[in-house]
Amino acid sequence: MKWLPFKSIQTNMAAAFASLILLTVLLLSFIAYRLSTSAVRMTAEDYTAELVRQVNANIRTYVDNMHTISSLALNNRDVRSYIAGADSMPKEKRKETEERISEFFHSILISRKDIASINIFGYDGSFVSDRRDAVLNPYVSIAGQSWYKLAKAADGDVVISSSHVQPIFKDEYRWVVSLSRELQREDGTGVGILLVDLNFNVMNDMLTQIDLGQRGYVFIVSHDGNLVYHPQQQLVYSGLKSERVDDVLRQGSGSFMTDEGKQSRIYTIQDTGFGWKIVGVSYVSELVGNKRQMDLSLVLWGSFCLLVAIALSVLLSRKLSRPIKRLQERMREVERGNLDIYVPPDSQREIGLLARTFNMMVAQIKELMSQVVREQEFKRQSELNALQAQINPHFLYNTLDSIIWMAEAKKSEEVVLMTSALARLFRSSISKDQELVPIRTEIEHITNYLTIQKMRYKHKIDYRIEVDPAILDCRTIKVLLQPLVENAIYHGLKNKYGSGLIHITGERIGDRIVFRVADDGVGMDEETLGRILRPDGRKAEGRGIGVANVHARIQLHFGRDFGLSYESEPEVGTTVTVTIPAIEPDAGEHAANSGQPSETERREDGEQPGAGERAADSGQQSEAGPADSDGASGGKEESR
Amino acid sequence: MTARFGRLGRLLALLALAAAGAAFCYAAVRFADLSGGNGKPRITVIIKESKSMEFWQVFADGAETAAKEFDADIEVIGPEKETDIDEQIAMMEAAVARKPDAIVLAATDFNRLVPAARQAGDAGIPLIMADSGINSDVPKSFIATDNVAAGEKIGGLMAEELAGRGGKVAIISYVQWTATQLDRERGVRNVLEATPGVEIVGTFYSDGIERKAYEMTLELLKEHPDLKGIVGLNEASSVGPGKALRDAGAAGRVKLVGFDSSIEEVKLLEEGVMQATVVQRPFNMGYLGVKTAVQAIRGEKVPRVIDTGAVVITKANMYEDENQKLLFPFVGE
Repeated sequence: MKWLPFKSIQTNMAAAFASLILLTVLLLSFIAYRLSTSAVRMTAEDYTAELVRQVNANIRTYVDNMHTISSLALNNRDVRSYIAGADSMPKEKRKETEERISEFFHSILISRKDIASINIFGYDGSFVSDRRDAVLNPYVSIAGQSWYKLAKAADGDVVISSSHVQPIFKDEYRWVVSLSRELQREDGTGVGILLVDLNFNVMNDMLTQIDLGQRGYVFIVSHDGNLVYHPQQQLVYSGLKSERVDDVLRQGSGSFMTDEGKQSRIYTIQDTGFGWKIVGVSYVSELVGNKRQMDLSLVLWGSFCLLVAIALSVLLSRKLSRPIKRLQERMREVERGNLDIYVPPDSQREIGLLARTFNMMVAQIKELMSQVVREQEFKRQSELNALQAQINPHFLYNTLDSIIWMAEAKKSEEVVLMTSALARLFRSSISKDQELVPIRTEIEHITNYLTIQKMRYKHKIDYRIEVDPAILDCRTIKVLLQPLVENAIYHGLKNKYGSGLIHITGERIGDRIVFRVADDGVGMDEETLGRILRPDGRKAEGRGIGVANVHARIQLHFGRDFGLSYESEPEVGTTVTVTIPAIEPDAGEHAANSGQPSETERREDGEQPGAGERAADSGQQSEAGPADSDGASGGKEESR
Repeated sequence: MTARFGRLGRLLALLALAAAGAAFCYAAVRFADLSGGNGKPRITVIIKESKSMEFWQVFADGAETAAKEFDADIEVIGPEKETDIDEQIAMMEAAVARKPDAIVLAATDFNRLVPAARQAGDAGIPLIMADSGINSDVPKSFIATDNVAAGEKIGGLMAEELAGRGGKVAIISYVQWTATQLDRERGVRNVLEATPGVEIVGTFYSDGIERKAYEMTLELLKEHPDLKGIVGLNEASSVGPGKALRDAGAAGRVKLVGFDSSIEEVKLLEEGVMQATVVQRPFNMGYLGVKTAVQAIRGEKVPRVIDTGAVVITKANMYEDENQKLLFPFVGE
């Protein structure tokens, strides 16, 4: 999602929708534009071609009319007889014939607005016109006119002139198109010229009304390159405009395009068949002008669609992202610490699934949190219990009683030993705050304890401690062994006849450290054995109160893989195995670091540094330590 | 809540951006359309005479042709007579007040139209002079026959007609102090005064009235029985003397060369009363006047002077294709 710049999913969705739609709209518009552009152009070309065809048809009609009239004239009886023998006719008759011909021409002309005049010019100087009062222009030579000369040269064929001013009549300068042909006798000798003049203004009117766009126009060029009609004839003649007359003449019907940049024109040419070419000229840029209108509407519609699309995509994305947003809001609640949240499952599947998972997660977090609270509570309780076990007051009374008795018996050396052991014992238990202590400290502690016990029970107890020196720096929880030894003494050895041995070993097995506290006391039956590690074991019997606590503490600290296990056989003895993980001093970071200073601290407190050293010494030789016995104290302890 | 507003804001910004884009496209297209045609430039064309003279009809025709081609809106106005200088000044001032995009003016007076022209210049309206200029720097361009050259042409034709023998020549002019007449007269005099044996008896002003020119010629014939040639400087000043020569039976003896064209002049040419005429190109003038005005409106650089040229018409070449359209500009009756 990196390419989407917005942080909110809704905006991103909207943006994605919008750009998708934009892309589609643009693509479609482009295609539509291309298609319609070429369509417009083709339509324009077709239109021009059609228009030019239409003009051609009209022009042809006029010219065909002239043809018809000329044929009509030639086939007229009077005209025929006039041609056959005008020179041989008597003057009267000739005049009569001329008058009839004139009448006939006049009658044709009445019905034809487009025909300017019909005349016959005889080579002998005679002249017959549709107008009886026609006066020829005395200053103009008929024979010098191009239509006259061309007809004479054409040998009976029809000649169509370009548009021109007809100066042959007095005071008349009409623009006409002339049809002329030689009148011939049957033997082929020419006798004169027939002239049919078409009013050019009928063509002109028709041509000027042609609309070929703003600037487009139609022009007519005769086969010799003269402009029959051109709306800008004067500009062309004076050179202000160029017309591609040569190109037009070179080409038959068809079209071509000039290469004049913005002024490029398309020429559509139609050959009339009688020597003229009708040319429609349209400007390419005007097609572009149409295109611009198209562009405009395309852009307008495009932007309208775009606006609608954007509005839609905003709405859509809002609708789609609303459940996610709701979920997000609930999550924020949870973030703030409110776990009592329930997201109603949404109708949408994915989001509903998400909501359900979220609900489950929140419930689990809640459960785990309460569990943690409970465990902490329990831990605190067991620590407290451990502490109580350590500073068992009965043990203290009994030990103090023993010291008193020894003092009364003047066994001063033993008093010193016991007192110092007691002091060390308590000092180590007072060093609180650290959950983990070096094994060395724990061994010292148990040595002190056993020293005291051995002095109290004398021959009844013997003990041996064999701990691998390599593990002395590893960490363990406090007061680990004391409850076990205590248990071994009071429940294993005390009830045994004769002396018993407590054998403590410590070694490393793999990544674990295993302690064994073995006694050869009375042992336990299966039932007691099954109960001993249960937290509520103490209720059934006094035995086990500390033991179960130790087991629970180990498991709390190190997990369920660790803890105590008992093996016992009645009358043979009991062995309790303690398994804890091997925690190297540096791995036990906090515990290791704080363990050392706390020891130093102890010494600096000024509490008999000598006694500590001595205790350490005596711990190593405690096997042979003095013993004392007191049944009462044992009883008292037991009654606890 | 603020975050929500921020998102909404961005959405709105997106929308606004799209709208702005659309508006921009629209504006761009609109603008292109505007410069391309829809907002057509408005051009006022003020001619010298709006009623009967063929010259000005053809001029207006040319102007209309250019208006169609360059997609401009034009109005063609002018006083009824070309001597109505005051009316033309009033028209010019009214035109300036209407604030067209450009004005094309054919001045009836070289000096008196200057203040009105200055008003146009002050209003920032491009002024294009056609046919007859004014004594001012305000106009952007001057489109006309080079009248000095045309005068020299007609002077040369007269000198030719006299065939080196020389003689007395009279100049019939029209409205005094009109720029065109001043230039034409200068051209004629440039040539004739340099031709040995030619004596110019004077310049006479017909005020563009044929009748006056006619009578003036009869007077001249009496006054100078040995008059060899007459130079007419416009249509009326050519036809009037032509008719006078015809009526006085002096055709051929007194050579006549003139300016412009009309049916009367065509007849005089056919009859041989008139030997030649110099024809201007009013169609081109009107066309180029409007074209140049459009170019000036678009801010393009326009030439200071455009010579539309002049064509010499004699009896021999009057029915040639190129000349027919000049002599007989209109197809209908």
